[in-house]
Amino acid sequence: MAKSTIKLRTKEKKGLIQVKSLITHPMHTGLRRNKKGDKIPAHFINEVVVEANGEPVMTANWTGAISKNPFISFSYAGDKSDTIKLTWKDNTGKSDSLEKQVGKK
Amino acid sequence: MKRRSFIKTAIVASATGAVVTSGLIKPKTVMAASHEKDFTKAKSTEEVMEMMGASDAAESDMIKIKSPEIAENGAVVPVGITSEIEGTTEIVAVVSNNPIPYAARYTVGAKGKAAVKSRFKMAKTTDVVAIVKADDKYYMAKSNIKVTKGGCGG
Repeated sequence: MAKSTIKLRTKEKKGLIQVKSLITHPMHTGLRRNKKGDKIPAHFINEVVVEANGEPVMTANWTGAISKNPFISFSYAGDKSDTIKLTWKDNTGKSDSLEKQVGKK
Repeated sequence: MKRRSFIKTAIVASATGAVVTSGLIKPKTVMAASHEKDFTKAKSTEEVMEMMGASDAAESDMIKIKSPEIAENGAVVPVGITSEIEGTTEIVAVVSNNPIPYAARYTVGAKGKAAVKSRFKMAKTTDVVAIVKADDKYYMAKSNIKVTKGGCGG
């Protein structure tokens, strides 16, 4: 893949690192139908793991109830020098990950 | 023969609730729920709570759900859940009136702050229930969101 599916922004504020991320993904629930009336198979991210220096700080288990191109935001107690790594996996076995230093764009 | 074994395995898998991880067979419905106990099979908030073993969750005002009162577009409803309960390890979001109410589960790491924000899909006007696990106890909070245009189905 030429372009990463993950956009990751991190910011340090008073000892807390705020992590914001956008992932490009269709997030089909498996309930919708296309114009012909056939079901669009379920295709959604079911696991997002965010690690700081290799230690997981947040794990999200998602279902189709999360919107298309999902957004996630949270914060944790960390340091400016931390390296953040976000990995997602979907129900068809696809995955992607991105690693970044805090504050870097 | 292949097809026969496929059906057989599929039946066995669904009967026992076992998770099929074999590379050979990947029925989609099983895959969809593979990351969890079959929470996605639950049809109502009560069922989800029962499966979690959280039926007796106490309502707490330490959990805050930040969301719009009226969502114009149910396909993208920003919801933030914050728990001020100490020792929060898990946050589960349930959208009551969705075809699959169980929406998301966040596991907060040791350093993590128990505050998450994501965008949810909502089929219609619904309650959003946040179930928080802290020190092996469950707490919950509810918030109603009016949806003027649904986000599931066409």
